Amino acid sequence: MEYVITTEQLTKRFGKQVAINNLTLNIPTGCIFAFLGPNGAGKTTTIKALMNILSPNAGTSTVFGVDSRKLSPTEFAQIGYVSENQELPLWMKTGYFLNYCKSFYPTWDDGFCQQLLKQFDIPLDKKLKSLSRGMRMKAALVSSLAYRPKLLVLDEPFSGLDPLVREEFVSGILEVTETENWTIFISSHDVDEVERLADRVGIIDKGALMVNENIEELQCRFRWVEVTLGEAPAGAVSFPAEWLAAEQKGRAVRFVDTQYQEDAGQQRIRSLLPACTDIAAQGMSLREIFVVLAKQFKQSNS
Amino acid sequence: MIPFSVTFKAGIPIYEQVIYAVKKAIVSGRLQEGDPFPSVREMSKELRINPNTAQKIVTLLVQEKLIEIKPGIGSIVSKLGNATEEQRHTILNTEAEKLVIEARRLSIKKGELIEAIQNHWGKGK
Repeated sequence: MEYVITTEQLTKRFGKQVAINNLTLNIPTGCIFAFLGPNGAGKTTTIKALMNILSPNAGTSTVFGVDSRKLSPTEFAQIGYVSENQELPLWMKTGYFLNYCKSFYPTWDDGFCQQLLKQFDIPLDKKLKSLSRGMRMKAALVSSLAYRPKLLVLDEPFSGLDPLVREEFVSGILEVTETENWTIFISSHDVDEVERLADRVGIIDKGALMVNENIEELQCRFRWVEVTLGEAPAGAVSFPAEWLAAEQKGRAVRFVDTQYQEDAGQQRIRSLLPACTDIAAQGMSLREIFVVLAKQFKQSNS
Repeated sequence: MIPFSVTFKAGIPIYEQVIYAVKKAIVSGRLQEGDPFPSVREMSKELRINPNTAQKIVTLLVQEKLIEIKPGIGSIVSKLGNATEEQRHTILNTEAEKLVIEARRLSIKKGELIEAIQNHWGKGK
């Protein structure tokens, strides 16, 4: 498989604070990758290290196979980057700003730019300073989409945007997927927003990667399971490591199975809990999986 | 606009939910033989789903012979064909068995289940 982004034991410290810790992450070309984690998990630091805005204390990262610290204009011309707190030249009018950006990108597509401006309903003759936050983000997105980048990096693109603007934003992002070999990297703490959009998800907490997996596979192996036992067990029941948040009260046992499979999963549960009379397994949303993993991680760390 | 609607639920793969919605639209007559079927791009944009997922949906629908791709035109809805022996077996044995077991587990009476099936059958035509 070809990877557009790789990191190898990437570590970044700010003083004593470890922002990312031995992060190894590979992102295949052609996917929409959602990089999820609570605030302060290390998402932005990772992105900044990838984009050569920050230099790591240890480890390496590559983009398009090139070491992040050696990224040149050739690579940057194929990367679109929009960040939540991006600094824009606020004194420029939107039209002027886009023209200014255009000069840096040989692949700038005027027709596509016009189409996006119309779709996003952005006024060209107003200064960026006078635009709302949502409008400004949309202008930044247009300036990063118009050259049809092969890699689009979005750092918390949805925070502070109203639902309508979010929707426009997502359809704008989907426009570039026509480009060949495109990849999108979205960091967010808003799980619901990216659930349908992404095909791959990485979950980071306290600078460490907990999951890097295809969303479908992840959702296939996670289940809320509720087991009813024929009679309440005398002593404490022990649970295998792949059952998270396991609880037992009287004749009910509840847990999150992280290795569930249609038939084999049920058999395994029966063999571990021989007294069971009923098994109910329920699918979980990405948000629920995220919460369970984050809690687990917190527990194992303390 | 795309000719079927999906209300996404958590915990079920997106492609399964969309394929189910398409089948429902075909059975209920909202989508008929020869009707144009949305492209990967339209589906991805309208439903705001990953284009790879939309591609997978089209591939699976073609495999199940629910839609066919006409070069130069796009995809259209196929004629509802005769089921293969295997598909008949799945519905009449595997799926029916699952339904009966679930119903009995919840102490639903045989008459009630048959009535429910008849109701849904009526809606489908």
